[in-house]
This record gives sequence, C-alpha cells and structure tokens, in this order.
Amino acid sequence: MILAVFPLPGRAGDDNAACLECHSDASMTFDLEGGESLPLFVDGAVFQKSVHGEAVSCTDCHEGKTADHATGSLPVKTRHELARSDSKACTGCHEAPAEGIHHAVIARGDDRAPACSECHGAHDVLSPDAFRTHVPGKCGSCHEKEAKAYAGSVHGSAVDSNDDVPVCIDCHRVHKNADTSPGALSLRTPIICGRCHTDEKRMKKYGISTRVVATYLADFHGMVTTLQRGTDAGKGVRLAAGCTDCHGVHDIQKTDDPRSRVIAANLQRTCQTCHAGAPKNFPQAWLSHWEPSPRKAPAVWAVRQFYRLMIPFMVGGLVLQISLHVLGILRKR
Amino acid sequence: MSSERIVRFSRKRRLEHLTVMVLFVLLCLTGFPQKFYTHAWAQALVHGLGGIDRARQIHHAAGFALAGLTVLHFGAGLAGLLSRTIPFSMMPTRKDFEDVFRQLRYYLGTSRVEPLYDRYTYKEKFEYWGLVAGNVIMVVTGTILYFPLQVTALFPGVLVPAAKMAHSNEGLMAFLVITIWHIFNVHLNPDAFPFDPAIFTGRISRERYQHEHPLELARLEGRPAPKGADPDLGPHGPVHGEG
Repeated sequence: MILAVFPLPGRAGDDNAACLECHSDASMTFDLEGGESLPLFVDGAVFQKSVHGEAVSCTDCHEGKTADHATGSLPVKTRHELARSDSKACTGCHEAPAEGIHHAVIARGDDRAPACSECHGAHDVLSPDAFRTHVPGKCGSCHEKEAKAYAGSVHGSAVDSNDDVPVCIDCHRVHKNADTSPGALSLRTPIICGRCHTDEKRMKKYGISTRVVATYLADFHGMVTTLQRGTDAGKGVRLAAGCTDCHGVHDIQKTDDPRSRVIAANLQRTCQTCHAGAPKNFPQAWLSHWEPSPRKAPAVWAVRQFYRLMIPFMVGGLVLQISLHVLGILRKR
Repeated sequence: MSSERIVRFSRKRRLEHLTVMVLFVLLCLTGFPQKFYTHAWAQALVHGLGGIDRARQIHHAAGFALAGLTVLHFGAGLAGLLSRTIPFSMMPTRKDFEDVFRQLRYYLGTSRVEPLYDRYTYKEKFEYWGLVAGNVIMVVTGTILYFPLQVTALFPGVLVPAAKMAHSNEGLMAFLVITIWHIFNVHLNPDAFPFDPAIFTGRISRERYQHEHPLELARLEGRPAPKGADPDLGPHGPVHGEG
C-alpha cells in the first residue's frame, strides 16, 4: 500500500547529528522493566540509507525528546509495548491500516499483533520493493511454522535469487491480509495463484502451463469453489478443494518432486484427505489439469465430440421439421 | 361435430407426465447453474436456492426420484407388455418410417395427402424414445457422479469425467429438445396454440381425435380403418386412394 508521505525540509542532518553524539555508542542499552535489554544504538549510516534518511529527523518521530531526556525511566515495560507506542509516530504521516487480521487482533484487545516497526523496521525502513526479500523473515519472526514450510517450498527456496516467486504478502496481502482460519481464503486460490500462473510471460520461463486455472475451473471442484465464493467454512459447510488443498499451502513443491502432494505416488493419499476411502483408481477421475484430447483422456474427448455433433444435428433436425410443419399448415390455408 | 370428448390419457399417464415435468424443471433449475456457473444468472440462481450445496441436494433428490420413476415405468411397461394388458402402441413400426416420408412429401408439396396416424404419431414416438434414451443416459451417468468412490473401486477413474461430460451435454440436449420440439408441438403449433391441455385433462375432442389419430379412433369405435383422406375434402370426406 502506498501511503501519503509528507516531504519535510532538509534540516534533518543537523538535528540528527546532535542525537547521534550519544546514540552512536553501540554498547548503549536500557534494561526494560519486563527484563529485556533495549539497544539505544542507532546506526547513522543505515538510517541515512533508509527510506526516511533524507527527509525525516529524529525528533519528527521521537517527539519531545530533548538533550536531557535520559531520565533512567521509560513508560513501557517491553520492546513490543514500546513498538506499539511508537506506532503513533508512523501514523502522524501514514494512514493507520484499519483492516486486516492484525488490526482485527488488536481491536479485540489482543496486543500480540505486530506494531509498524516490528514488520517494517525502525531506523532501517526500506522501500516496499527493496523490502520484498525480507518479508518471509519478518513474518516468520512470529509465524515460525509457516515460514519454515515456506523456506523449503518451490517458492520459498528461490526467494533470494528469483523475483518471480511470491513472498508472504503476495498471497496474504499486506495491511488487508485476511483471516485464513475460516477457510474462505482457499476459495480465492484460483485467483491468487492464477495471478502468476496464468501469466504467459512468467510461466514460459519455467515451462509451466498457463491453462492450470482454466482446467481446474472446468472441473467439478472449480465449479463448486466458484459458486461457494464468499462462503465461510463452518458447521455443515464443506468447501470444495482449491489449489492449495491439493498442492499444499506454504510447502508447495514442484509437481515432479517426490515430496509433492500431487505427484502420482502421493495423489491417492491427497484425495483421501477429503474423499475418505478413495480407491486406487480414484485420482484418475481428475484429469491432472489436462484438457481432454485423443491423447489425454480419449474417452472424455470422444463423449465431447459426440455431443458437439449430436446437439447441432438434433436441434437442426427439429427446427427443420418444425419449419416444414409450419410450411405445410400455411400451404393448406 | 359434437363436443364429445374422448379419453386419450389415463389418470396414471397424466400423473406420470406431471411428475416428470416437475422433476425436469427442478433438475434444469439446479443443473444448469452448475454447467454455466460463471454466468451471473447462474450464480444468482444458486444463491437464491440457498447455495450450491442446497442446489445439489435438490438436484440429487429430483434425480433419484426421476430414476425411480424410470424404473417403475419400465417395470410396469414390461409387465404390461408381457401380460398383454398394455398394447405395443409406443413401439416404432414400419408404418412410422413410411409415415415420415409421407409426411415429408406432404410438407414439400409433392403429395396432397397427409398420413393417417394411429395412437401415437412418429413424432410422439420419437419424443418418447428420445426421452427414454436420454433418461437412461442421465440416470446412469448421474449415478456414476453420485458414487465416484464406489465406481472407481470397480472401474477406471476416467469413467467419472466421461460421465460428467455426457451428463452435462445430454442434459443440455434434453433441454433444447424439450424447449424447441415439445414446446412447439404442444404450445406454438397452430393446431395446439396456445396450449394443448390433453396431457393434464386426459381428454380431447372427438373431432380432434378424428383429425390426429383416425386409425385409433376407428379401432376404438369398432369401424374398419380408413384408407387415407384427401385434405381438400377435410378429414371426414370421402376416402380416396393414397396419392
């Protein structure tokens, strides 16, 4: 999300130099009441390179800090509390996110959700583009299990070297990230995954078909998820399988990787997560994203060809018969 | 001509038609949104029915009811044929094929005489057997789709998508045949317009019976079968040889 930034006059340098007289001491810390040690060190060079380095001075964020602020006491007990209270400095310029699961968590009185600086950093805030590869690490500092699965996946293992793979926020979004717990996010996976997987230019590099979404939508699961969109999972509601239900969520592997849930050897077990007791032949009921052709699924192709001829033949014949009948009546009159 | 009315359809046949009609409408309403699910009308219809799960429940219930009715119809029909309490009036005969060509010649103007029909015309037989064949395909493929685990335990898995392809297309064809053919014959046909109530009331006028099913009427009334009619003199005019 692009937020409004108000450029400030270039007076930052002088003010900051005064602050850094003390705060460039790398060993300076403050012992918080909660037991954590709060580093008071600020790397001036890092800040200078950060997105705020040119335009923002220390006291723009640390309002009211004067030369004699080292009183030996802070109104917060933990670093998290400090970050939460420091968010006010961000919202002075940037509009505070009012949506998304983290906001909802805070709104219901749970203070575990991250404050601005806990994702974006404080003195080292990077522009969104430069921040990209840091995202999995940032999210992973709380969401450890997911980050670990992602790191081993086809997407996560390439994140440092490849701009095409998605990071957390590409699927979950940033400040509008949705709650994944009701399962409704899985209904949107054809759209979410499809953003990249129907992109001809991007998929060509990896030899991946862009027909994967269309072929999914053409089958039973695709029909049901389309009609279920907006439905929340709950008692008595069974959502049909979306992309991630078969391919995995954070741990997606290449389809020819032995660890892949959709490789032939694992497919029966994957089907069984919803279709309890699915027999050995059951996975063949799904055409593995192939379109029916004389080579792939010739039986399905033959049925389709039959009706492609039969329906026009039948309709044409009936229309002809009706026309002749009407003609006969007109002639009789 | 008197307004005498003759029973054409028994109470049982009328009830059968009514049931099939209701089930067919239900199956179309709950089936086509699944075929054309990307269209706004389909999504609105499914929403109106209470969601896709509910729509599928209705579809399954109506499907099983129609399957049951089909089995009953065949069972009773077979028993009736074997015990000779039901005539073979719906069986296609050599005459039906000849009637097609007679009717075509009449339509094309190379003959001035329309064929004389018995209880069911070739058109009615075609529609009946089309419905029967379509029904069998729908029941068989629908059953495969309803029991994919059991089916794939015995047969190759590809049977399921093949059944889906057939179910979806056969359904569309049945819908088109019904809307084009049946609605023309019993609603838009100038002879029937705006609505032929015979299948609901069970009765049609003697005059119409004489016009549409003269061979059966003659048999019902114990007369010898007429040998053909000159349309210029009307259906009750002197009998001529066929042209």
